[in-house]
Amino acid sequence: MSLGKQQSPFVYTDEQLIARFQSGDERAYVELVNRYRDRLTHFVFQFLGEIEQAEDVVQDTMLKLYEKKHYYREIAKFSTWIYTIARNLANTELRKRKRRKTTHLSQMTRDERQYEIPAVQPDVGQDVQNEFVAKRIQAAIQDLPEHFKTVIILRDIQELSYDDISNIVGVPLGTVKSRINRARLQLQAELKDLR
Amino acid sequence: MNRYQFEDLISEYIENELSLSKRKEFETYLEENPEARSLIDSVRYTMDTMRSLPKVKANPKFNERLMTRIKSNIDWSATPMPSKGTFFGFTPIHASLLTGLMIAFVFVSMQLFYPESGTQITERQLFADEQVPSLSNPGLNTVNRTTPDLADAEEDSLEIDPKKQQQKDFSKKMHFVND
Repeated sequence: MSLGKQQSPFVYTDEQLIARFQSGDERAYVELVNRYRDRLTHFVFQFLGEIEQAEDVVQDTMLKLYEKKHYYREIAKFSTWIYTIARNLANTELRKRKRRKTTHLSQMTRDERQYEIPAVQPDVGQDVQNEFVAKRIQAAIQDLPEHFKTVIILRDIQELSYDDISNIVGVPLGTVKSRINRARLQLQAELKDLR
Repeated sequence: MNRYQFEDLISEYIENELSLSKRKEFETYLEENPEARSLIDSVRYTMDTMRSLPKVKANPKFNERLMTRIKSNIDWSATPMPSKGTFFGFTPIHASLLTGLMIAFVFVSMQLFYPESGTQITERQLFADEQVPSLSNPGLNTVNRTTPDLADAEEDSLEIDPKKQQQKDFSKKMHFVND
């Protein structure tokens, strides 16, 4: 496929876009940002539990993409590379947070949390119910150990393949599958009352 | 198959990734343990719920904020940074010049604020003007600050004083050796 100027950037693959960006085409960078901005924000938000911190991490990820574009080699998929950067930055933020010993609502254990549980009645809006369920799941994900949290978010929320996840976290495929399975079992135990 | 093996295979069963033989073994366990089916349903429900979580999107001003950060990073990196071989940001040449200037400044300050040290130096200079004693010019035991004027001499150097000459005659003591 020729990379003519008249073609819309939407026809380019991620790998073609990063190659163009490495050659100096900044429009390719903007397109990559637009493609991955929301996806990465959703991923990091599930990881950290806070939207503002998640946005900061994604900003840092895109900044690294801009500054270190030449570090990317076409050996791996671009998505693997950028998810790895985002995950590493999110991990760093999580470690900083632990050092600050700041307690967030999403990090509190089940006993400490106080939810205003809405009454499940026919006249309660579905949106409220959905929001409640979403918050419970997000809190349960936050309670998972870090190595479980990463893989379960990448698989069940970001819907990446096992191979991609294995490349992102840097562990064998069998380990990824095992961790995902155990994370699911742990989550279902915590969310039994939701069914 | 035991309970632990069954639980290890739940995800692969739900995602249709078990081999035929493993799947048969798994389903045999399910038939023998009907309560295990509720665990599968629970895991399936959790997976579906996670997939249906509302997608969190970035702030509409995300791109604008990002471009501002990139621009400020470019501006910052454009300012020349001191290289590694510098002393507090100064190159070696500049550092030596500054050091020399500082030493000169200290020296001049000492001259201005401690003038006694200057007179001592001038006295030393006076002493230094006197001739250094040598073999050809044996030094005197006492320092004679007055320079002798030949016109003021009371004696005529041409008049020979025999006593003085005798005192000075070493011929009897000197033995000349033929080469």
